[in-house]
Amino acid sequence: MTTFRLILKEMLQRKFNFLLSLLAVVIAAALFVSFFTTGESSKSETIRLMRDIGFNLRIIPKKTNMEKFWQTGFSEYTMPESHVYDLATHGGISYAHLTAILQKKLTWEGREVFLTGIAPEISPPGKKKTPMIFSIEQGNVYIGYEIAQSLGLGKGDRIDIFGKSFIIAQSLSESGSEDDIRIYAHLHDVQGLLKMENSINEIKALQCLCIVNNEQINSLEMLREQLAGILPDAKVILIQNIASAREGQRLMAERYFGFIIPFVSVVCMTWIGILAMLNVRERRQEIGIMRALGYGSGKIAALFLGRAVIIGLIGAVVGFSVGTSLALKFGPVIFKVTANMIEPRIQLLYWAIIASPAMCALSVFIPAMSAVAQDPAITLREE
Amino acid sequence: MVRLDKASKTYRTKHGDVQALDRVSLQIQKGELVIIRGPSGSGKTTLLLSAGGMLRPTEGHVIVNNNDIYAMSKRERAIFRAENIGFVFQLFHLVPYLNIIDNVLMPTGVGRSRFGQKDAKEWLNRLNLAERMHHRPSELSAGEKQRTAIARAMLKRPQIILADEPTGNLDPENSDEIIGYLAEYHSSGGTVIVVTHGKAVDQYADRIVYLKKGHIDKP
Repeated sequence: MTTFRLILKEMLQRKFNFLLSLLAVVIAAALFVSFFTTGESSKSETIRLMRDIGFNLRIIPKKTNMEKFWQTGFSEYTMPESHVYDLATHGGISYAHLTAILQKKLTWEGREVFLTGIAPEISPPGKKKTPMIFSIEQGNVYIGYEIAQSLGLGKGDRIDIFGKSFIIAQSLSESGSEDDIRIYAHLHDVQGLLKMENSINEIKALQCLCIVNNEQINSLEMLREQLAGILPDAKVILIQNIASAREGQRLMAERYFGFIIPFVSVVCMTWIGILAMLNVRERRQEIGIMRALGYGSGKIAALFLGRAVIIGLIGAVVGFSVGTSLALKFGPVIFKVTANMIEPRIQLLYWAIIASPAMCALSVFIPAMSAVAQDPAITLREE
Repeated sequence: MVRLDKASKTYRTKHGDVQALDRVSLQIQKGELVIIRGPSGSGKTTLLLSAGGMLRPTEGHVIVNNNDIYAMSKRERAIFRAENIGFVFQLFHLVPYLNIIDNVLMPTGVGRSRFGQKDAKEWLNRLNLAERMHHRPSELSAGEKQRTAIARAMLKRPQIILADEPTGNLDPENSDEIIGYLAEYHSSGGTVIVVTHGKAVDQYADRIVYLKKGHIDKP
């Protein structure tokens, strides 16, 4: 009578205990497998988003005092307008929208306003993109809500700014920000008004990325390094965008599962341990007679540890199937962009086959030792 | 063959110490059939389990076949027990999930055994259990269960059979049958020690040892 045969026969006899133990392993393994199956897809989706959306950047003169910059919203220093063309024609950077800006805070009509000059957006060569920032013709201005309200101005009205006449092409709706006290004009008009020809104090680069062969490696740091090479007298500020928000969300989910997986594992291990303890109690007399027949401690422990290993192996295979099925069914609903990346990951089966039996054996270690330590003389005298 | 040398056994309980055996010395020769008799709590089962290497005496020695069995390691003692001693209990102690033939084959799970299916079937035939071979213990009568336990104890032809109230749960007819098998084993040269209240086995006994409060007493 081999130990393996004894274990199998016992499991078939005490089906309820066996099935409950198996259920615990299946739950833990399925959770692990479904998380990692969809997790890879989640990671890839974020990378794809980062790649497709890119970073939204503000490029300002390097000498800018950031304290002042954040207070005023613009740099007091300038850089050559040609920087935006240098950037646009550089082969190492990809972007969706580039625009040069010159802005200053000044007093006009007895009030403080931001005068913002915007150059027409530059799109990547050969690609037509819908402008992200409005384009203003020379001689026209867009005025912020607060200015329009307080001065009673509207679309089509003429205004005079420092001796030059402009037509209000757009009266902007209320934004609830400093944009309500902003006057937008063509970059060259503003440069003329401020006598700062060919100067800008900001470049807005939207969906900007380095061009690298490996799409998996594309970090802001790399982009910053590359920009420093092209525009040595500029520095870069990241505008938080959807990609970084998504990255944050993914990291949060990873942290969450980083807690959930060990928690579920501990609960399942405790569950298996309690069931094993009940199994030991139920088999006290059986253990006693085995001892009387000469079965040693190793063989008694092997009955319980072997049982746990078999449950772990079956649970790993079933859990892998369940977890993969769940991931394949629900993963594409959650990760729409990279749905086709959700596929069975056979290496997770290997991991489950190693980890589940090991964790089951660990769970029943104490019950197995209590079976070994049991005094057969006591149980065999019990009636 | 089996010798208890000033063997004492004290059980520690929450209500205080209980002296189950008190400096008992007893010698049983090879091929003897000895009955241990005495009132409940006199130490009969303790003596039997100590003689079988299952319960270490608090003091004294137990010598079986010239081996001080409690001087052996646990593992050595288990192997010694598997090769030399067979047990029969009042409650049969069959493994519920194994069929009858597998229960009889249980002793072969220890060490390298030269006994197997053929021997088990032979014993089952001899004990009129051939038709029950593939039944579970729950499907057997008490007498059949005890016959299965006897077959299991005798499978490896041990030199010593220790039986603790083997007829305690049986009707007189089944009791006689079980006693008959033990007597047959004794007559073939085996040593048998039986703890029993019943008188049926007396006619086959070489000796009756009376125990009272952990001491060997006169009848």
